[in-house]
Amino acid sequence: MALDLSDVRDQELVTRIRGGDEDAFRGLFRRYAPNAMALARRVVRQPSLAEEIVQEAFLALWRNPTGYDQERGSVRSWLLGTVHHRAVDAVRREESQRRRAESAVAVDVAQPDISEDVAAELDAPEERRAVRTALDDLPAEQRQVIELMYFDGLSQSMIAERLSLPLGTVKSRSLLGMRRLRAALVEMER
Amino acid sequence: MMERRDHRTIEELLSASVLGALEPEEQAALEQEMSSHGPRCPECMELRRDYGEVAGRLAFALEPVAVRPGFEDQVVQLVRGAGMAEVVQIPARRERSRVWRGLVAVAAALVLFAGGWLARDLTGGEKATLTLPTKVVSFQGTGGNLSVAFRPGERGLYLLGSNLAPPPSGKVYEVWMIQGDTPVRGACFSPTANGSFFRFLDADLTNTQVMAVTVEPASCSAAPTSEPFLTAPITQA
Repeated sequence: MALDLSDVRDQELVTRIRGGDEDAFRGLFRRYAPNAMALARRVVRQPSLAEEIVQEAFLALWRNPTGYDQERGSVRSWLLGTVHHRAVDAVRREESQRRRAESAVAVDVAQPDISEDVAAELDAPEERRAVRTALDDLPAEQRQVIELMYFDGLSQSMIAERLSLPLGTVKSRSLLGMRRLRAALVEMER
Repeated sequence: MMERRDHRTIEELLSASVLGALEPEEQAALEQEMSSHGPRCPECMELRRDYGEVAGRLAFALEPVAVRPGFEDQVVQLVRGAGMAEVVQIPARRERSRVWRGLVAVAAALVLFAGGWLARDLTGGEKATLTLPTKVVSFQGTGGNLSVAFRPGERGLYLLGSNLAPPPSGKVYEVWMIQGDTPVRGACFSPTANGSFFRFLDADLTNTQVMAVTVEPASCSAAPTSEPFLTAPITQA
Protein backbone atom coordinates (compact mmCIF):
# COMPACT_ATOMS: atom_id res chain seq x y z
CA MET A 1 0.00 0.00 0.00
CA ALA A 2 1.37 3.43 -0.98
CA LEU A 3 0.71 4.90 2.44
CA ASP A 4 2.87 2.30 4.10
CA LEU A 5 5.72 3.09 1.75
CA SER A 6 5.29 6.74 2.60
CA ASP A 7 5.43 5.95 6.31
CA VAL A 8 8.58 3.92 5.88
CA ARG A 9 10.20 6.74 3.94
CA ASP A 10 9.25 9.24 6.64
CA GLN A 11 10.62 7.04 9.39
CA GLU A 12 13.88 6.72 7.52
CA LEU A 13 14.07 10.48 7.28
CA VAL A 14 13.48 10.84 11.02
CA THR A 15 16.17 8.28 11.72
CA ARG A 16 18.60 10.30 9.59
CA ILE A 17 17.53 13.52 11.27
CA ARG A 18 18.45 11.95 14.60
CA GLY A 19 21.94 11.67 13.17
CA GLY A 20 21.98 15.34 12.25
CA ASP A 21 21.30 14.85 8.53
CA GLU A 22 20.26 18.23 7.14
CA ASP A 23 19.19 16.77 3.78
CA ALA A 24 16.79 14.46 5.56
CA PHE A 25 15.39 17.44 7.42
CA ARG A 26 14.91 19.28 4.14
CA GLY A 27 13.23 16.18 2.73
CA LEU A 28 10.68 16.02 5.52
CA PHE A 29 10.20 19.77 5.39
CA ARG A 30 9.42 19.69 1.67
CA ARG A 31 7.01 16.82 2.10
CA TYR A 32 4.96 18.29 4.91
CA ALA A 33 5.57 22.03 5.26
CA PRO A 34 2.81 22.85 2.73
CA ASN A 35 0.32 20.72 4.67
CA ALA A 36 1.55 22.13 7.95
CA MET A 37 1.22 25.67 6.59
CA ALA A 38 -2.31 25.00 5.35
CA LEU A 39 -3.31 23.62 8.73
CA ALA A 40 -1.72 26.40 10.76
CA ARG A 41 -3.23 29.07 8.53
CA ARG A 42 -6.65 27.49 8.73
CA VAL A 43 -6.57 27.40 12.51
CA VAL A 44 -4.93 30.74 13.32
CA ARG A 45 -5.98 32.61 10.13
CA GLN A 46 -2.89 34.78 10.23
CA PRO A 47 -0.16 33.96 7.69
CA SER A 48 2.70 35.38 9.74
CA LEU A 49 1.66 33.55 12.89
CA ALA A 50 1.10 30.37 10.88
CA GLU A 51 4.63 30.64 9.55
CA GLU A 52 6.00 31.00 13.07
CA ILE A 53 4.09 27.93 14.17
CA VAL A 54 5.36 25.82 11.29
CA GLN A 55 8.89 27.03 11.86
CA GLU A 56 8.75 26.21 15.56
CA ALA A 57 7.27 22.78 14.90
CA PHE A 58 10.05 21.84 12.50
CA LEU A 59 12.70 23.31 14.79
CA ALA A 60 11.27 21.19 17.61
CA LEU A 61 11.57 18.16 15.36
CA TRP A 62 15.22 18.92 14.71
CA ARG A 63 15.99 19.58 18.35
CA ASN A 64 14.19 16.52 19.63
CA PRO A 65 13.66 13.93 16.89
CA THR A 66 13.48 11.22 19.55
CA GLY A 67 10.14 12.76 20.51
CA TYR A 68 8.68 10.71 17.69
CA ASP A 69 7.59 7.27 18.86
CA GLN A 70 6.79 4.84 16.07
CA GLU A 71 4.40 2.98 18.34
CA ARG A 72 2.21 6.04 18.57
CA GLY A 73 1.56 6.46 14.86
CA SER A 74 2.96 7.81 11.63
CA VAL A 75 5.51 10.59 11.30
CA ARG A 76 3.10 12.80 9.36
CA SER A 77 0.38 12.49 12.01
CA TRP A 78 2.88 13.24 14.75
CA LEU A 79 4.29 16.23 12.90
CA LEU A 80 0.94 17.66 11.87
CA GLY A 81 -0.40 16.93 15.33
CA THR A 82 2.41 19.06 16.71
CA VAL A 83 1.51 21.88 14.35
CA HIS A 84 -2.16 21.59 15.23
CA HIS A 85 -1.44 21.60 18.94
CA ARG A 86 0.66 24.75 18.66
CA ALA A 87 -1.92 26.44 16.47
CA VAL A 88 -4.76 25.67 18.87
CA ASP A 89 -2.63 26.92 21.75
CA ALA A 90 -2.10 30.17 19.89
CA VAL A 91 -5.79 30.54 19.19
CA ARG A 92 -6.75 29.85 22.77
CA ARG A 93 -4.15 32.28 23.97
CA GLU A 94 -5.53 35.02 21.83
CA GLU A 95 -9.03 34.59 23.21
CA SER A 96 -10.39 36.25 20.16
CA GLN A 97 -12.76 33.66 18.84
CA ARG A 98 -15.38 36.20 17.91
CA ARG A 99 -12.93 38.39 16.04
CA ARG A 100 -11.61 35.43 14.13
CA ALA A 101 -15.06 34.20 13.31
CA GLU A 102 -15.98 37.58 11.90
CA SER A 103 -12.94 37.64 9.65
CA ALA A 104 -13.26 34.01 8.68
CA VAL A 105 -16.49 33.96 6.79
CA ALA A 106 -14.76 33.81 3.44
CA VAL A 107 -12.45 30.92 4.30
CA ASP A 108 -13.36 27.70 2.56
CA VAL A 109 -11.76 24.44 3.58
CA ALA A 110 -11.84 23.16 0.05
CA GLN A 111 -10.59 26.33 -1.61
CA PRO A 112 -7.72 25.38 -3.91
CA ASP A 113 -4.75 27.67 -3.59
CA ILE A 114 -1.87 25.77 -5.08
CA SER A 115 -1.50 23.84 -8.27
CA GLU A 116 -2.17 20.15 -8.61
CA ASP A 117 1.44 19.79 -9.72
CA VAL A 118 2.66 20.70 -6.27
CA ALA A 119 0.07 18.43 -4.70
CA ALA A 120 1.18 15.58 -6.91
CA GLU A 121 4.75 16.16 -5.89
CA LEU A 122 3.66 15.63 -2.31
CA ASP A 123 1.87 12.36 -3.11
CA ALA A 124 -1.11 13.97 -1.48
CA PRO A 125 -4.13 13.95 -3.83
CA GLU A 126 -5.07 10.39 -2.95
CA GLU A 127 -4.70 11.13 0.72
CA ARG A 128 -6.75 14.28 0.39
CA ARG A 129 -9.51 12.52 -1.47
CA ALA A 130 -9.68 9.81 1.16
CA VAL A 131 -9.90 12.28 4.03
CA ARG A 132 -12.43 14.48 2.29
CA THR A 133 -14.57 11.49 1.40
CA ALA A 134 -14.45 10.29 4.99
CA LEU A 135 -15.50 13.74 6.19
CA ASP A 136 -18.21 14.06 3.55
CA ASP A 137 -19.62 10.70 4.54
CA LEU A 138 -20.21 11.86 8.10
CA PRO A 139 -23.68 13.01 9.09
CA ALA A 140 -23.69 16.79 8.79
CA GLU A 141 -24.06 17.42 12.51
CA GLN A 142 -21.06 15.21 13.31
CA ARG A 143 -18.95 16.78 10.58
CA GLN A 144 -19.82 20.24 11.82
CA VAL A 145 -18.66 19.48 15.36
CA ILE A 146 -15.43 17.86 14.24
CA GLU A 147 -14.59 20.69 11.85
CA LEU A 148 -15.23 23.29 14.53
CA MET A 149 -12.94 21.42 16.89
CA TYR A 150 -10.14 20.69 14.49
CA PHE A 151 -10.13 23.53 12.00
CA ASP A 152 -11.42 26.31 14.23
CA GLY A 153 -9.67 25.34 17.45
CA LEU A 154 -12.85 25.34 19.51
CA SER A 155 -13.30 23.19 22.59
CA GLN A 156 -16.42 21.10 23.00
CA SER A 157 -17.68 23.57 25.59
CA MET A 158 -17.19 26.48 23.18
CA ILE A 159 -19.05 24.60 20.47
CA ALA A 160 -21.94 23.84 22.79
CA GLU A 161 -22.18 27.52 23.57
CA ARG A 162 -21.85 28.63 19.97
CA LEU A 163 -24.41 26.16 18.64
CA SER A 164 -26.68 26.43 21.69
CA LEU A 165 -26.51 22.68 22.18
CA PRO A 166 -26.20 20.65 25.38
CA LEU A 167 -22.56 19.75 26.01
CA GLY A 168 -23.53 16.08 26.08
CA THR A 169 -24.88 16.36 22.54
CA VAL A 170 -21.66 17.87 21.30
CA LYS A 171 -19.63 15.15 23.00
CA SER A 172 -21.83 12.46 21.57
CA ARG A 173 -21.60 13.83 18.02
CA SER A 174 -17.85 14.19 18.39
CA LEU A 175 -17.36 10.60 19.55
CA LEU A 176 -19.62 9.12 16.90
CA GLY A 177 -17.95 11.15 14.17
CA MET A 178 -14.47 10.24 15.31
CA ARG A 179 -15.39 6.57 15.44
CA ARG A 180 -16.54 6.77 11.83
CA LEU A 181 -13.35 8.53 10.80
CA ARG A 182 -11.27 5.98 12.62
CA ALA A 183 -13.07 3.21 10.78
CA ALA A 184 -12.68 4.94 7.42
CA LEU A 185 -9.12 6.23 7.69
CA VAL A 186 -7.32 3.83 9.99
CA GLU A 187 -9.07 0.50 10.35
CA MET A 188 -9.86 0.16 6.63
CA GLU A 189 -6.19 0.51 5.79
CA ARG A 190 -4.95 -2.22 8.09
CA MET B 1 -10.64 -14.58 34.96
CA MET B 2 -9.01 -11.31 33.90
CA GLU B 3 -11.27 -8.31 34.31
CA ARG B 4 -11.95 -6.43 31.09
CA ARG B 5 -11.73 -2.71 31.69
CA ASP B 6 -14.12 -0.19 30.26
CA HIS B 7 -12.45 2.17 27.78
CA ARG B 8 -15.46 4.27 26.82
CA THR B 9 -14.44 7.24 28.96
CA ILE B 10 -10.91 7.13 27.63
CA GLU B 11 -12.16 6.86 24.06
CA GLU B 12 -14.56 9.76 24.50
CA LEU B 13 -11.94 12.02 26.01
CA LEU B 14 -9.06 10.88 23.83
CA SER B 15 -10.95 11.32 20.57
CA ALA B 16 -11.62 14.93 21.56
CA SER B 17 -8.16 15.50 23.00
CA VAL B 18 -6.42 14.74 19.70
CA LEU B 19 -8.54 17.47 18.14
CA GLY B 20 -7.49 19.92 20.84
CA ALA B 21 -11.08 20.16 22.05
CA LEU B 22 -10.79 19.44 25.75
CA GLU B 23 -10.83 21.98 28.53
CA PRO B 24 -7.86 21.71 30.93
CA GLU B 25 -9.88 19.89 33.57
CA GLU B 26 -11.09 17.37 30.99
CA GLN B 27 -7.53 16.85 29.81
CA ALA B 28 -6.50 16.20 33.39
CA ALA B 29 -9.34 13.71 33.74
CA LEU B 30 -8.12 11.90 30.63
CA GLU B 31 -4.59 11.70 31.94
CA GLN B 32 -5.82 10.43 35.28
CA GLU B 33 -8.03 7.81 33.66
CA MET B 34 -5.23 6.61 31.39
CA SER B 35 -2.75 6.44 34.21
CA SER B 36 -5.21 4.26 36.12
CA HIS B 37 -4.98 1.78 33.23
CA GLY B 38 -1.19 1.78 33.36
CA PRO B 39 1.35 2.88 30.74
CA ARG B 40 1.18 -0.34 28.73
CA CYS B 41 -2.58 -0.79 28.51
CA PRO B 42 -2.85 -2.24 24.96
CA GLU B 43 -6.32 -0.91 24.27
CA CYS B 44 -5.36 2.56 25.51
CA MET B 45 -2.30 2.54 23.25
CA GLU B 46 -4.37 1.46 20.28
CA LEU B 47 -6.95 4.17 20.90
CA ARG B 48 -4.24 6.78 21.26
CA ARG B 49 -2.47 5.67 18.11
CA ASP B 50 -5.63 5.42 16.02
CA TYR B 51 -7.21 8.68 17.07
CA GLY B 52 -3.87 10.46 16.81
CA GLU B 53 -3.64 9.13 13.28
CA VAL B 54 -7.14 10.37 12.47
CA ALA B 55 -6.29 13.84 13.76
CA GLY B 56 -3.07 13.99 11.77
CA ARG B 57 -4.81 12.83 8.62
CA LEU B 58 -7.51 15.50 8.89
CA ALA B 59 -4.88 18.07 7.96
CA PHE B 60 -4.84 16.55 4.49
CA ALA B 61 -8.39 17.69 3.88
CA LEU B 62 -6.91 21.12 3.26
CA GLU B 63 -5.23 22.16 0.05
CA PRO B 64 -1.52 22.46 0.77
CA VAL B 65 -0.18 26.00 0.91
CA ALA B 66 3.13 26.55 -0.83
CA VAL B 67 5.64 28.04 1.57
CA ARG B 68 7.09 31.36 0.53
CA PRO B 69 10.43 31.36 -1.27
CA GLY B 70 13.26 31.39 1.21
CA PHE B 71 11.25 29.99 4.10
CA GLU B 72 12.85 26.56 3.88
CA ASP B 73 16.33 28.09 3.89
CA GLN B 74 15.35 30.30 6.81
CA VAL B 75 14.28 27.29 8.86
CA VAL B 76 17.39 25.37 7.88
CA GLN B 77 19.54 28.31 8.93
CA LEU B 78 17.89 28.22 12.33
CA VAL B 79 18.39 24.47 12.45
CA ARG B 80 22.09 24.93 11.76
CA GLY B 81 22.28 27.44 14.57
CA ALA B 82 20.33 25.19 16.89
CA GLY B 83 22.40 22.17 15.98
CA MET B 84 25.71 23.85 16.58
CA ALA B 85 24.54 25.82 19.52
CA GLU B 86 24.15 22.94 21.92
CA VAL B 87 20.86 24.49 22.87
CA VAL B 88 20.88 24.58 26.62
CA GLN B 89 17.63 24.07 28.42
CA ILE B 90 17.25 24.35 32.13
CA PRO B 91 14.20 22.79 33.73
CA ALA B 92 11.14 24.97 34.05
CA ARG B 93 10.91 26.34 37.53
CA ARG B 94 7.98 24.99 39.43
CA GLU B 95 8.54 27.33 42.29
CA ARG B 96 9.11 30.96 41.60
CA SER B 97 10.25 31.92 45.02
CA ARG B 98 13.89 32.64 45.63
CA VAL B 99 14.26 33.04 41.89
CA TRP B 100 16.69 35.90 41.82
CA ARG B 101 18.92 34.26 44.36
CA GLY B 102 18.61 31.11 42.26
CA LEU B 103 19.56 32.94 39.11
CA VAL B 104 22.77 34.13 40.61
CA ALA B 105 23.52 30.53 41.52
CA VAL B 106 22.71 29.44 37.99
CA ALA B 107 24.98 32.13 36.63
CA ALA B 108 27.80 30.94 38.83
CA ALA B 109 27.20 27.34 37.79
CA LEU B 110 27.26 28.33 34.14
CA VAL B 111 30.62 29.98 34.54
CA LEU B 112 31.89 26.68 35.89
CA PHE B 113 30.13 24.76 33.12
CA ALA B 114 31.54 26.99 30.40
CA GLY B 115 34.95 26.62 31.95
CA GLY B 116 34.62 22.86 31.86
CA TRP B 117 33.44 22.95 28.29
CA LEU B 118 36.38 25.05 27.18
CA ALA B 119 38.77 22.85 29.06
CA ARG B 120 37.37 19.80 27.31
CA ASP B 121 37.76 21.51 23.95
CA LEU B 122 41.35 22.39 24.66
CA THR B 123 42.07 18.82 25.59
CA GLY B 124 40.65 17.42 22.38
CA GLY B 125 36.95 17.16 23.20
CA GLU B 126 34.69 16.38 20.29
CA LYS B 127 33.12 19.82 20.25
CA ALA B 128 36.25 21.87 19.65
CA THR B 129 35.59 24.53 17.05
CA LEU B 130 37.57 27.42 15.72
CA THR B 131 34.67 29.37 14.31
CA LEU B 132 31.90 30.74 16.43
CA PRO B 133 28.51 30.21 14.79
CA THR B 134 25.29 31.91 15.68
CA LYS B 135 23.89 30.52 18.90
CA VAL B 136 20.20 30.12 19.43
CA VAL B 137 19.10 29.60 23.00
CA SER B 138 15.52 28.94 24.01
CA PHE B 139 14.13 30.55 27.10
CA GLN B 140 12.53 28.15 29.55
CA GLY B 141 9.46 28.79 31.63
CA THR B 142 5.81 29.46 31.11
CA GLY B 143 3.98 32.12 29.16
CA GLY B 144 5.18 31.48 25.62
CA ASN B 145 8.20 30.81 23.44
CA LEU B 146 11.18 33.12 23.34
CA SER B 147 14.61 32.58 21.83
CA VAL B 148 17.74 34.67 21.63
CA ALA B 149 20.16 34.47 18.73
CA PHE B 150 23.66 35.92 18.93
CA ARG B 151 27.23 35.42 17.81
CA PRO B 152 29.55 34.91 20.75
CA GLY B 153 32.07 37.67 20.97
CA GLU B 154 30.08 39.98 18.72
CA ARG B 155 27.83 42.80 19.76
CA GLY B 156 24.13 42.54 18.97
CA LEU B 157 21.42 39.97 19.54
CA TYR B 158 18.01 39.10 18.22
CA LEU B 159 15.03 38.18 20.35
CA LEU B 160 12.31 36.15 18.67
CA GLY B 161 9.09 35.26 20.44
CA SER B 162 5.89 33.44 19.61
CA ASN B 163 2.76 32.43 21.47
CA LEU B 164 3.59 34.92 24.18
CA ALA B 165 0.73 35.70 26.49
CA PRO B 166 -0.18 39.39 26.68
CA PRO B 167 1.20 41.09 29.80
CA PRO B 168 -1.33 42.07 32.46
CA SER B 169 -3.11 45.37 31.97
CA GLY B 170 -0.77 48.32 32.54
CA LYS B 171 2.30 46.09 32.46
CA VAL B 172 5.03 45.23 29.97
CA TYR B 173 7.66 42.56 29.74
CA GLU B 174 11.27 43.50 30.40
CA VAL B 175 14.32 41.56 29.32
CA TRP B 176 17.31 41.42 31.63
CA MET B 177 20.89 40.30 31.16
CA ILE B 178 22.21 38.90 34.41
CA GLN B 179 25.89 39.72 34.78
CA GLY B 180 27.23 38.24 37.98
CA ASP B 181 24.64 39.32 40.49
CA THR B 182 23.56 42.39 38.54
CA PRO B 183 20.53 42.45 36.26
CA VAL B 184 21.27 44.77 33.34
CA ARG B 185 18.31 46.23 31.47
CA GLY B 186 17.71 44.85 28.00
CA ALA B 187 14.41 45.94 26.54
CA CYS B 188 10.80 46.53 27.43
CA PHE B 189 8.23 45.05 25.13
CA SER B 190 4.72 43.82 24.64
CA PRO B 191 4.11 41.05 22.12
CA THR B 192 1.84 41.70 19.16
CA ALA B 193 -1.79 40.66 19.29
CA ASN B 194 -0.85 37.25 17.94
CA GLY B 195 1.75 36.76 20.66
CA SER B 196 4.82 37.26 18.47
CA PHE B 197 7.81 39.47 19.14
CA PHE B 198 10.98 40.30 17.26
CA ARG B 199 13.61 42.80 18.35
CA PHE B 200 17.26 43.54 17.71
CA LEU B 201 19.19 44.64 20.78
CA ASP B 202 22.48 46.46 20.48
CA ALA B 203 23.91 44.71 23.51
CA ASP B 204 26.93 42.62 24.36
CA LEU B 205 26.32 39.26 26.02
CA THR B 206 29.97 38.58 26.75
CA ASN B 207 29.56 39.01 30.48
CA THR B 208 26.00 37.70 30.68
CA GLN B 209 25.37 34.33 32.25
CA VAL B 210 21.58 34.33 32.20
CA MET B 211 18.86 36.25 30.42
CA ALA B 212 15.51 36.64 32.09
CA VAL B 213 12.12 38.19 31.43
CA THR B 214 9.92 39.77 34.08
CA VAL B 215 6.60 41.59 34.20
CA GLU B 216 7.13 45.27 34.94
CA PRO B 217 5.07 48.47 35.09
CA ALA B 218 4.38 50.06 31.70
CA SER B 219 7.00 52.71 32.46
CA CYS B 220 9.64 49.92 32.63
CA SER B 221 11.90 49.38 35.61
CA ALA B 222 15.50 50.12 36.37
CA ALA B 223 15.69 46.89 38.33
CA PRO B 224 13.40 43.85 38.32
CA THR B 225 10.36 44.18 40.53
CA SER B 226 8.97 40.69 39.94
CA GLU B 227 10.24 37.19 39.56
CA PRO B 228 11.29 36.09 36.07
CA PHE B 229 8.92 33.82 34.21
CA LEU B 230 11.32 33.05 31.37
CA THR B 231 15.05 32.42 31.70
CA ALA B 232 17.83 31.40 29.33
CA PRO B 233 21.36 30.42 30.27
CA ILE B 234 23.96 32.15 28.12
CA THR B 235 27.35 30.68 27.36
CA GLN B 236 29.93 31.97 24.95
CA ALA B 237 31.37 28.60 23.98
